[in-house]
Amino acid sequence: MNAASAPSKLYSDDVSLIVVLLDANPFFWASSAAAAGDSASSHHPTTTLPFSKLLNHVIPLLNSLLLLNQFNQVVLVATGVNSCGYIYDSGDGGGGSAGGSVPAICSEILRRLEEFVVKDRLQGKGPDKVVATGVSSLLSGSLSLALCYIQRVFRSRARHPQPRILCLQGSPDGPEQYVAVMNAIFSAQRSMIPIDSCVMGVQHSAFLQQASYITGGVYLKPQQLDGLFQYLSAVFATDLQSRNFLQLPKPAGVDFRASCFCHKKTIDMGYVCSVCLSIFCKHHKKCSTCGLVLIYANKFHSYSNSKRKPFKYDFCFFFYKPH
Amino acid sequence: MPQVRIIAKNFMDLVAALPAMKLDKLYESTFICEAVLRSLPPMAKRYVLQMLYIDTLIAAKSMEEWLLPDGLSKHKVSVDRLLQLRVFLEVTDRKKETSYKINPKFQSNIQKYLVNGGTLPREPMPLSITVRLPTLEDLETYASEQWECFLLQLINSAQAEKLTSFSSSMIKVFQRGLLSARENEAPKLTENGFQFLLMDTNAQLWYIIREYISTAEDRGVDPTDLISFLLELSFHTLGEAYNLNTLTDVQRIAIKDLADLGLVKLQQGRKESWFIPTKLATNLSASFTDSSSSKEGFVVVETNFRMYAYSTSKLYCEILRLFSRIEYQLPNLIVGAITKESLYNAFENGITADQIICFLQQNAHPRVAQKIPTVPENVTDQIRLWETDKNRVEITPSYLYEDFPSKEVFEAACDFAREMGGLLFEDSRTMRLVVRVEVHQEMRDFLRRQR
Repeated sequence: MNAASAPSKLYSDDVSLIVVLLDANPFFWASSAAAAGDSASSHHPTTTLPFSKLLNHVIPLLNSLLLLNQFNQVVLVATGVNSCGYIYDSGDGGGGSAGGSVPAICSEILRRLEEFVVKDRLQGKGPDKVVATGVSSLLSGSLSLALCYIQRVFRSRARHPQPRILCLQGSPDGPEQYVAVMNAIFSAQRSMIPIDSCVMGVQHSAFLQQASYITGGVYLKPQQLDGLFQYLSAVFATDLQSRNFLQLPKPAGVDFRASCFCHKKTIDMGYVCSVCLSIFCKHHKKCSTCGLVLIYANKFHSYSNSKRKPFKYDFCFFFYKPH
Repeated sequence: MPQVRIIAKNFMDLVAALPAMKLDKLYESTFICEAVLRSLPPMAKRYVLQMLYIDTLIAAKSMEEWLLPDGLSKHKVSVDRLLQLRVFLEVTDRKKETSYKINPKFQSNIQKYLVNGGTLPREPMPLSITVRLPTLEDLETYASEQWECFLLQLINSAQAEKLTSFSSSMIKVFQRGLLSARENEAPKLTENGFQFLLMDTNAQLWYIIREYISTAEDRGVDPTDLISFLLELSFHTLGEAYNLNTLTDVQRIAIKDLADLGLVKLQQGRKESWFIPTKLATNLSASFTDSSSSKEGFVVVETNFRMYAYSTSKLYCEILRLFSRIEYQLPNLIVGAITKESLYNAFENGITADQIICFLQQNAHPRVAQKIPTVPENVTDQIRLWETDKNRVEITPSYLYEDFPSKEVFEAACDFAREMGGLLFEDSRTMRLVVRVEVHQEMRDFLRRQR
């Protein structure tokens, strides 16, 4: 805040680096488009949004972020099913944000998105996956990519902008990514990078609720997706400094449930390893994460069996308490 | 502590001071809308973005509902700024409720920008004509050389090796306020002049540009044209060549002066001539906000009060001489010592300790810039102590009251002054009372009532 008193590495102004994670999961957007087609005649036509229309909202958002400050930087990362990749980086184009006309940038984004989707599909063909109904995108991957990018910016420049991450997520959470996502969230928290999330799917995303809650970002699930730009510009374009003074959407409730490490199921109650804090839905003899600890615990067990009371601290209960 | 009076960052104040008609005309250009938007405080930017696609009026009261409790002062500053620059237009309805809407021209321009993006003010010239353009480093050296040359001429015309082509009357205009020009005496830097030299380049640039614009009318040039041209210039691409023929007459005259300042480099080809914007020009619109340029520093201060400045520039040598004793000068190194005498000299010229420390910190050599503190603490403390040495006497403007008719009136007056927090001195024997200037009016009313 007080840039005058101490020489800070941050710009004193509202210069921001925004990494936008765009969900490019073809399964989700196809189902969304189908739903939009189905419900066009029925009661709620605004809860779904085809992908092409989404870009009509997102590209002006990127533009407006670049407009706000000459030094602002925007990075667009696509989140696919099997991979993720950089789509657009405003820092690449030789500095000046006023350069590069929007139609050119727009077609560039579209081209690279197309390439990305094709590549992503090819990658998925290796180990043949059964296409389930709710295919999730690789959120953990794109979060890590964003964090790596930000870390690189931190290290490469003497002064760096204030970073934040914006997740535009549609597809449902993949419980199998729980550990990776949580790790990404905690490392974002450590580096003081807020994760904003805008959920466009039907359900709330527990991952992103937690991400925004822990890192101090904003979580929002817009009710009307056809006015998405207004949400994006009014809420997510707000720089970190102004956030101290403005009312922003507050989360109604955060779903803190964890996924178990053994079957990747979301659970309310389970077992926690007392050493490595891994979570399991069933009682295990050996912790699959840190292994060794339980061998020791078992030995200790057998030694102590005869003299003392059975000692059962290797696993204890983990409670999920709704707030 | 005296405020830096000639702070130049408020270029936009100049724009805000334009009459409404002219300001509205300026907003016809997308660049100016863009530059103005970027100059706004962060909160104001956000308001503009939020209201960009709202066509109805927004009541001032409903805007206040967007705020958290501590946001009110920032909110007021932002809205005032928006109104000053006529980005927001105020509408008062019959019930005296104020509401705001965005200036329609500004609104449509920014909307267009969001959808279509910014266009370049003019097309750069193809490489086939310009053949060889200077590299970015060359351009930067050129810009800083030109700027230093100008500054050196400004403070000490005798020292400058090559003179810029500014007429001596122009230089006089720039020197006004920075140098005291007494008859029959070598011009001497004033307090403001010293402060000016210690500012960073962007702030200095804006000060000069502001002077340049404010005297535009005397030269028969409309300041609005100049402002819009300067703003436009900041949106050109760094290092590209632009044809001079695309400029209007006014702009062509202005660009010569700007070349002297190092904002653009002029080049001539076989048939055509062109200008190449330098970093100074492209940073113009950025420097509205206080994010200053990140220049590499050159000064190392040691705990023994010795100062090593890795610089070849004469200008920096002159600046360092303002507050230190230069001991010797090597081709790329200036060695000096910060002494009590040299600092007293500086303080007498109106430089404050904070300015000196700030200068040393801002220009710290990259090697020491990473250390905390960049300037050794014993040095900064000593500089501050020496400053307080000079300021043993504090001057408070005040009023002396005497000849009170009675002891009662005197005591009542004393009590009243104490209550107002303005009593500086009282002597009940001689019935004399000294009161701060701020309370004088209340004091007079009080004494009148006593009669």
